[in-house]
Amino acid sequence: MRFSATIAAICTFALTAATIPSALAAPAATASAENAEIYKSIVKIEVASQVPDYTTPWNAGHFSGGSGTGFIIGKNQFLTNAHVVSNERRVLITMHGSARKHQARVVHIAHDCDLALLEVDDFSPFEGLPHFRIGDIPKLEDEVRVIGYPVGGERISVTRGIVSRIDFRSYAHSRADMHLVVQIDAAINPGNSGGPVLQNGKVVGVAFQGLTQADNTGYMIPPPVINRFLTDIKDGSYDHYAELGVSEFPLFNPAMRKIYNLAPNDPGVLVADVSVGSSAATTVKQGDILIAIDGHEVDSSGNILMDGERVNMNEIVERKFAGDAVSLKFVRNGEVMEKSVVLKTFPPAQMYAAQYGKKPRFLVQGGLVFQPLNLNLYLSHKLNNPRVRKIFNTYLKDGFYEKHQDVLILTRLLDDPINASLGGFAGNAVETINGQKITTIEQASQLLNSANPPKFLEITFSGVDRPLVIPTKDLAEANQRIRENYGIHSQQNLEN
Amino acid sequence: MKPFLTLLLAVLTTLGSLSSLAADYTDSVLRISSTLQNYNPSQPWDKSNPRSRRALAAVLDNGLVITTAEMVTNANFIQLETCDGEFQIPAKIHTIDYECNLALLEAIDADGKEVIAKLKPFQTAEPASIGDSLDIIQIQNNGTQLLTSGKIRGVDIVAGFAAGHYFLNYELKTSMQSAANSFTLPAIKDGKLAGLLTSYSSKDQLADLIAPEILNAFLEDAADGAYKGFPMLGVATSNTKDPHFRRWLELPQGKNGLFITRVLPDSAAANAKLQKGDVITAIDGHAIDKRGNYQDPHYGTLFWSHLVRGAKKIGEPIHFDILRDGKVLQVETKLARAPEGIIPSHTYGKAPRYLVKGGFVFQELTKSYLEAFGKDWQSRAPLNLLDALNHPEDYEKGRDRLVFISATIPTPATLGYESIRGVIVEQVNGQPVKDLPSLIAALKKAPANGIHSLTIDEQPKTIYLDATLSDQVDQQLVQRGLPALSRAKE
Repeated sequence: MRFSATIAAICTFALTAATIPSALAAPAATASAENAEIYKSIVKIEVASQVPDYTTPWNAGHFSGGSGTGFIIGKNQFLTNAHVVSNERRVLITMHGSARKHQARVVHIAHDCDLALLEVDDFSPFEGLPHFRIGDIPKLEDEVRVIGYPVGGERISVTRGIVSRIDFRSYAHSRADMHLVVQIDAAINPGNSGGPVLQNGKVVGVAFQGLTQADNTGYMIPPPVINRFLTDIKDGSYDHYAELGVSEFPLFNPAMRKIYNLAPNDPGVLVADVSVGSSAATTVKQGDILIAIDGHEVDSSGNILMDGERVNMNEIVERKFAGDAVSLKFVRNGEVMEKSVVLKTFPPAQMYAAQYGKKPRFLVQGGLVFQPLNLNLYLSHKLNNPRVRKIFNTYLKDGFYEKHQDVLILTRLLDDPINASLGGFAGNAVETINGQKITTIEQASQLLNSANPPKFLEITFSGVDRPLVIPTKDLAEANQRIRENYGIHSQQNLEN
Repeated sequence: MKPFLTLLLAVLTTLGSLSSLAADYTDSVLRISSTLQNYNPSQPWDKSNPRSRRALAAVLDNGLVITTAEMVTNANFIQLETCDGEFQIPAKIHTIDYECNLALLEAIDADGKEVIAKLKPFQTAEPASIGDSLDIIQIQNNGTQLLTSGKIRGVDIVAGFAAGHYFLNYELKTSMQSAANSFTLPAIKDGKLAGLLTSYSSKDQLADLIAPEILNAFLEDAADGAYKGFPMLGVATSNTKDPHFRRWLELPQGKNGLFITRVLPDSAAANAKLQKGDVITAIDGHAIDKRGNYQDPHYGTLFWSHLVRGAKKIGEPIHFDILRDGKVLQVETKLARAPEGIIPSHTYGKAPRYLVKGGFVFQELTKSYLEAFGKDWQSRAPLNLLDALNHPEDYEKGRDRLVFISATIPTPATLGYESIRGVIVEQVNGQPVKDLPSLIAALKKAPANGIHSLTIDEQPKTIYLDATLSDQVDQQLVQRGLPALSRAKE
């Protein structure tokens, strides 16, 4: 599985309004006419955004802004990073050497691979400008140019670097996805995000993130990921990456190899877990040994040889789309089997992906604030209850998510006489409301706002010995009071 | 001039008479020094760095000396010394109770016994009252005593040493000076031993004392040589302050008590057929209030637990008024000890059981193991082990102890398993793992295919150990300085 823990060291490079330093601009060097033409196709993107606040989900959130870089790849098609235009409310595009700001909008956004496609209301000023072509993935030690609008001045900036590493790494924007990245030693700075990385006039990457504690390490999104995004949106909408749903465990241990009758050079990795409801769920079982994927032999650590490089076997799935088939060859009880698996996305994995452009879901009743668990909530509320942490960590295990589409957390109490002695319940995960197991926020809303309510609302929490009870008689009055006192204009938002 | 002189003399005589009034306790206390050494939580075959503690112990009848359990917990060496420094007496533990934090010591040899026999033993005091004055004894380096008096400010139920074990405690307002041998100190009322000081805050000038009731109950229990310990009820409770909760429970106005959230199996509470959801409204006729307090005839408001742990002995009857489904019931039972559960509340005085097999280090989960993860252990310790600590009832089935792999030493037998740690062991070769001895026994039998299989609670669910290879690895580990591959006895 490709879900990784949060990587604090990686930072994305959208330039936020708050971090623009007031450095003096150096005089621009004279560039060749050819370069000047290319520069015109590299645009500055200024974004005003509205970021929801998961600690006060009924509020509008805070308004902020930032800037990044984008480039023209087709008629009214501007490519940039998803993180440059996330939570956007207004997007303006400025051409190199022009003062005019063009109103733009997001057409497609893919948070899992940090790419977005924009269009402007009126493309005519951009007509005739060259369109960038996407090239091939560069090789180690190739020289590349990074062009964009980073901090340190108003005008376009160019840096040069060499390709220092090609690797599978976390994408900081979603915090949960890993894809191919290319590391270069050119300086990539805030504002460079979304800008093209060029080699021989072709785009070989989109600059997108760096490392906070290392110098001269910039990362770009390489052509395989860009091309996959552009292919995915051809049908008019972006689908998430497809997932196989298999977690592998390396078969290094000699006793383990003996149990599975493997000779020292036999291929294959152990299937340690298969997520319920995932693409491979009905095909592969825990304990199977996966020996090949689409004809590529899988080694004992789960890697395959692809284009001369040893990469994780999931790279095969990475380059495919929902609906595509992948062929799996595996050994079960000594018998070799080969089966085709139709790939699909795996929505429960969104639990670990940062959410953007969505209004937080919540439910307030009697001053009790309930919110479904996800990464945004986990981080903003710093949830530290061990049972809630365990639920969060094992959400994908053993099909837990099938029974709990939403894990509802009592995140806080808005102090009011009706909940005066209930403070100790905050931070726990709801198990039942009036005896019914809670699986979605909609269901909780119905039970908490029933037309013929029982005398008491009884709420039990996972791992908590006694129920929370609240009389329904005075609820309406209390809700009115709480809405007014705390400025809550709406008592719930059940949809993203 | 003459009148002035007279006055001076008068003052001097008064001072003189005062100091002669203050009794000399140097014949009734002994300096005590101990060297303590705990086991290394992650390498249970090793002991960690030894530490020393010094305090004052009080001499009692029959050659026994009393101090706090904390002072001699996991002690390798205990030595008593007379205040004048004349005699040094090697000592050992006679009786120790980590829960109430008390220990009785005795001399190891006849010479030492003889020295203690010549000292003046303390009698223990009757319970004191709030506002009473007590004297704390300290001994200066030159052997003279230093008495500091203080007033009892309050009485409370406090867990002084072993977490979760609450006992009657006096809070004393006093202004003590720092002196050697002050880790714990005796407190005196009217020449009798009224308590042992367990903590002192110089900032607040407050000291905590183990109350005389607890001292007396401990000594009475220890007198016959077969120490039983303080009884336990075996319930988890919640207060009934929450007005909604009270209405939901249908607690009438004026009726209060403790809501039972859990009943430990095989405990006194289970014998009394107390159930989850019952409300205990009175214990032995003492009405329990919303917070769980009762009105003690001597001290006033006091937490209910004293009625079980302090006021009563094992085997004594205890009477409860309870409210179940709105009906008033009365139940009675005999007090007993409650079973320890699969994760003991403390492991003082015990060596952790462990097994090293092929490089895997197996241990039994204890709270002290998790606490060794540091100050923020509740966020740093492995989540599955924390969950077991918080909800042992989910893990109890088929277990006496929770066996887990605490570490994996990289060896040829654990190749590929290096990252496995903090995982709970469920089965070995198809046998459920009840505790560490059962694991040792299961691994002793060589499986037919020569490979041990272990079921764990995390991926990859089953791990394998080559029996021959792991035996070889074990021998190498011993050669590399591991003192023993296992400890099956605590």
